[in-house]
Amino acid sequence: MERDPELVKRCLSGDSAAWEELLRSHTRKIYNLCYRFSGQGSDAEDLTQEIFIKIFQTLRSYDAAQGSFQTWLNRVARNHLVDHYRRTRKDRLTSSLEDETTPLEAKPGSGVSPAEHVESRERKELLQSALERLSPDMREAVILRDLQDLDYQEIAQVLGVPEGTVKSRINRGRLELARVLKRMEI
Amino acid sequence: MTSMTHLELENLVSDYLEGRLAATPHAQVASHLAGCSSCRQLVDDVRRVMELCRSAEVLEPAPGLTRRILLATVGERKPSLRDRIAAYLRPVWQPRFAYGAAMAVFSFSIIVNAAGIDLRRLKLEDLNPRTWIYQANRNGHLLYARAEKFYYDLRVVYEIESRRKQLRQQTGHEKQQQETPKHESPGGGSTDGNGITKPELASVRNFAMAPWLIGRGSVSSRSLIP
Repeated sequence: MERDPELVKRCLSGDSAAWEELLRSHTRKIYNLCYRFSGQGSDAEDLTQEIFIKIFQTLRSYDAAQGSFQTWLNRVARNHLVDHYRRTRKDRLTSSLEDETTPLEAKPGSGVSPAEHVESRERKELLQSALERLSPDMREAVILRDLQDLDYQEIAQVLGVPEGTVKSRINRGRLELARVLKRMEI
Repeated sequence: MTSMTHLELENLVSDYLEGRLAATPHAQVASHLAGCSSCRQLVDDVRRVMELCRSAEVLEPAPGLTRRILLATVGERKPSLRDRIAAYLRPVWQPRFAYGAAMAVFSFSIIVNAAGIDLRRLKLEDLNPRTWIYQANRNGHLLYARAEKFYYDLRVVYEIESRRKQLRQQTGHEKQQQETPKHESPGGGSTDGNGITKPELASVRNFAMAPWLIGRGSVSSRSLIP
């Protein structure tokens, strides 16, 4: 990551080895981001490829003074994923989800927390399935914070929203995820 | 300290769990949680969700993905000399080839050793396979002869061999004696019943003494065996 600015510079001067190195150091992270958004391995691969083609084409527009290459990459990826979501429209909206959700207080005595159930099942599938039920705004905030480990400031840069909004989305996203997981287990 | 509602607490759950609250609101949340089991449950659920997300495995993309992207962006990159050498040597960097190479070196060292080639003073004729075969053959025979000599020089072997020979001779004489009445010569023959003549006995005694001679290294046992 420290070498990113130098690699970008070399890429811009036509060094294909530098591009390959840049690609190899970021592919996994972008693939994971895409997978968490799309929920499909093949879709995630296609999206990762599309994102890197876009990055390659717009590399000249990257301005190191405005943030790290990783943040810029995440922003391009996120915008591409949002466009993809708009094109496909396969996500469910939170509103429809909330209609189905009963309040926490209405489920007393279950005795077992969602995470305890989760541990005994396929964690990966369950988490992915729960993430897909979040609204895109909340989902991307939770993914960037808890799965991609970005800090609030970086997420605000990636999403292009104030930090307060990011905090609110992450908090609501986590609460929603807890409810979804609980409901999926009952 | 003012009391906190469930909704207010809900809005602060993430900040509380991430340690981002100032001292006063943190104390308010803690105070509320101490007396509200449903909010405690909520905080526990969110904490576990965060743990679940952070412990989620990092997924590996398909091995060909990077190559596909490279092809789609910069096309087929012309390999550098280093890449070409690495590609050429890639099949060699495997355990079975290392094992094969080790065996080849081992076999070569055996051949060189058997052929009696001194690698420090290598001559042109040493490179001729005929020389190798000749030397290997010679060394093989020498080795065989030494092993044979060692075997026959063993005292136990020597004793057994001489005893066997003695018995064989004895049996031969007995047979001869049984056949003698039929072909007895007019001049008569030996009446000695043991079948061993004096010169033969002397020979047997010589055999019994032979190990001592061998022990001095002056006489080979082979030379004593008729």
